[in-house]
Amino acid sequence: MNQIRPADAALTDWRQVALRFEAEIAKAVIGQERAIRLVTIAIFARGHVLLEGDVGVGKTTLLRAVARALGGAYERVEGTVDMMPADLIYHTYLAEDGRPRIEPGPVLRRAEDLSVFFFNEINRARPQVHSLLLRLMAERSVSAFNREYRFPYLQVFADRNRVEREETFELPAAARDRFLMEIGMEAPTDPGMRRRLAFDPLFHDTDALIQEVAQDVIDQASVAGIAAAIQHGIHASPALEEYVVRLWSAIREPGQAGIALPDVAMDALVQGGASPRGVAFLIRAARVRAWLEGRDMLLPEDLRAVFPETMAHRIFLEPVYEMRRESILPALCRAVLDRVPAP
Amino acid sequence: MRTRAIEPPRVPRESPVVAMAGLLSVLLSGLLPLPAEAQIGAVVVRSPRPFGLFVGDRFGATVEIEAVDGFAPQAASLPKPGPLTYWLDLTAVSVAPGPARDGNRLWRLSLTYQTFYAALDVRRLDVPAFTVTFASEAPRATTSAVAEVPSWPIGVSPLREIQPPPVADPVEYLRPESPNPRRDPALPGALAWAFAGLGLAGLLALARDRAWWPFRHRPARAFAAAWRQVRRQAVRRDAEAAYREALLALHRGLDRTDGRRVMGEDLAGFLVRHPAYAALTQPLDRFFRASREVFFGRDPSLAQRDWPMPDLVATARRLAAAERAANAGGHS
Repeated sequence: MNQIRPADAALTDWRQVALRFEAEIAKAVIGQERAIRLVTIAIFARGHVLLEGDVGVGKTTLLRAVARALGGAYERVEGTVDMMPADLIYHTYLAEDGRPRIEPGPVLRRAEDLSVFFFNEINRARPQVHSLLLRLMAERSVSAFNREYRFPYLQVFADRNRVEREETFELPAAARDRFLMEIGMEAPTDPGMRRRLAFDPLFHDTDALIQEVAQDVIDQASVAGIAAAIQHGIHASPALEEYVVRLWSAIREPGQAGIALPDVAMDALVQGGASPRGVAFLIRAARVRAWLEGRDMLLPEDLRAVFPETMAHRIFLEPVYEMRRESILPALCRAVLDRVPAP
Repeated sequence: MRTRAIEPPRVPRESPVVAMAGLLSVLLSGLLPLPAEAQIGAVVVRSPRPFGLFVGDRFGATVEIEAVDGFAPQAASLPKPGPLTYWLDLTAVSVAPGPARDGNRLWRLSLTYQTFYAALDVRRLDVPAFTVTFASEAPRATTSAVAEVPSWPIGVSPLREIQPPPVADPVEYLRPESPNPRRDPALPGALAWAFAGLGLAGLLALARDRAWWPFRHRPARAFAAAWRQVRRQAVRRDAEAAYREALLALHRGLDRTDGRRVMGEDLAGFLVRHPAYAALTQPLDRFFRASREVFFGRDPSLAQRDWPMPDLVATARRLAAAERAANAGGHS
């Protein structure tokens, strides 16, 4: 019973749509199949995505392509040190008649239709902005002009580059925990791919590249319904539930699970994180992955495929190890997956 | 008449009878120069062992008779096999001419006796004397001569033990001990150790090859351990639970072989890393499908229908065999 049952024909149809969506994105972003797959999973899990990576690896291009293929309204802001929450909500200016005006800002401008909110360089924005974003992500609503605006289709995509540390503000734990995934992007390592990226004029003009992507492949308004159907349609067995619980305790207490990393005191490594919300996100993402693979049951492989991206950014290490986060966390995730027996 | 008497044993050892065994032969000889019968020369009785005879023993004697050439013993005059006395039988007689020398020929009479004397003590008995008639072989000759073979003694011994003569000091009954042969235990000892070591080394090598204790938990023999567990599960009564446990055992075998958790999607990579199991691609694929059904599917009973327990057991056995072959070949 590996195939989705005929009764779930809608799910099967939607899977074709999702695969077409991936193919469209892949036209603009090459050598990033994994990042594309994860973004697709995030869309159908209705989760927010944090993209992280070097400068110029295609984070913005990927998000622009996603926004184009996803349909719905799209807004983009750049994080800066002097940005304040009001700058996101209100647009203040002097009109032609010389009087000050206040109009809805980038967040409110498209109101309920807003589906992709793209926050560039999120770590340049101040914590005040982060906390606004926190509410926007968690409740998909914001208060302005004495009323509450709701964004039922909203998905936040943010990116941050990991090179600079000056004049940046690390995302607070609560904000980070609300992202479904943190997807790391690296430049492709395949020499042929690298040659193409360097010499093919197609990749020199980002705007033209984005135009290649078909518009509105996915009907944004119906994603919520199909996302719920996926969560109900993919079966998780008791054995898999046990596996998840084992994974969870292993990542919280790696020392007790018998995991050892070089130069790390395992008992004093993890300070917190791996919240119940995080594990729920993990299952949500894994279910979408199972559906994309054409299965109606959740397998450990699905969990493994999304585990680092959904769990690593919500684990908080002791300050001693926080500086080595980039090397410790992938190793920890790998060790947990290699250690915990499945099934 | 010339006679050589039996010499009494000088150093009696265990018993007089055995002591007499020290003498190899006894030569009794009788010279019977009868004046009227000049044709007969010396008569010599040779008895190889005229002592230490028990009831029922056979003993032989050779009688050498010197006769003038041309005379031969008359067959009718030879002693007849049969009882001679109440205690002695003659069982066989044969006569043969010997070499001729100085006009005389030596005739050799071979006699076999059997004694039935049930002696109660060691005693001397006399084998009865007899005569042999020699006749001229010339045509129409009538000359004959009689050779007289004298009686000679034999010593018979009782089957029962004999009371030795009383002595003042009982210690004198004890014979001096024969010196123990001094054997050097070094070589047999060294050989024993060597063979024990060799055997142990062989056993260790076999245990290592078969992943027996203490090599059970070698990482290189993960499938051997899995196969043991699967075999144990195969005889369990609770088929459903046994199937699950057997699947888990195989999972752990794969995990330990690869040093990480091997899931269904990793099968291709696993086979690339461990080409020894390439022949088992299909069974391993079915194993992962069955495992998915059992552990993660909606209906766990489906798996046993598609891939029954005997298939699982056979796959486990083939994996263990492939593992052993791979390790023997030095790669895995």
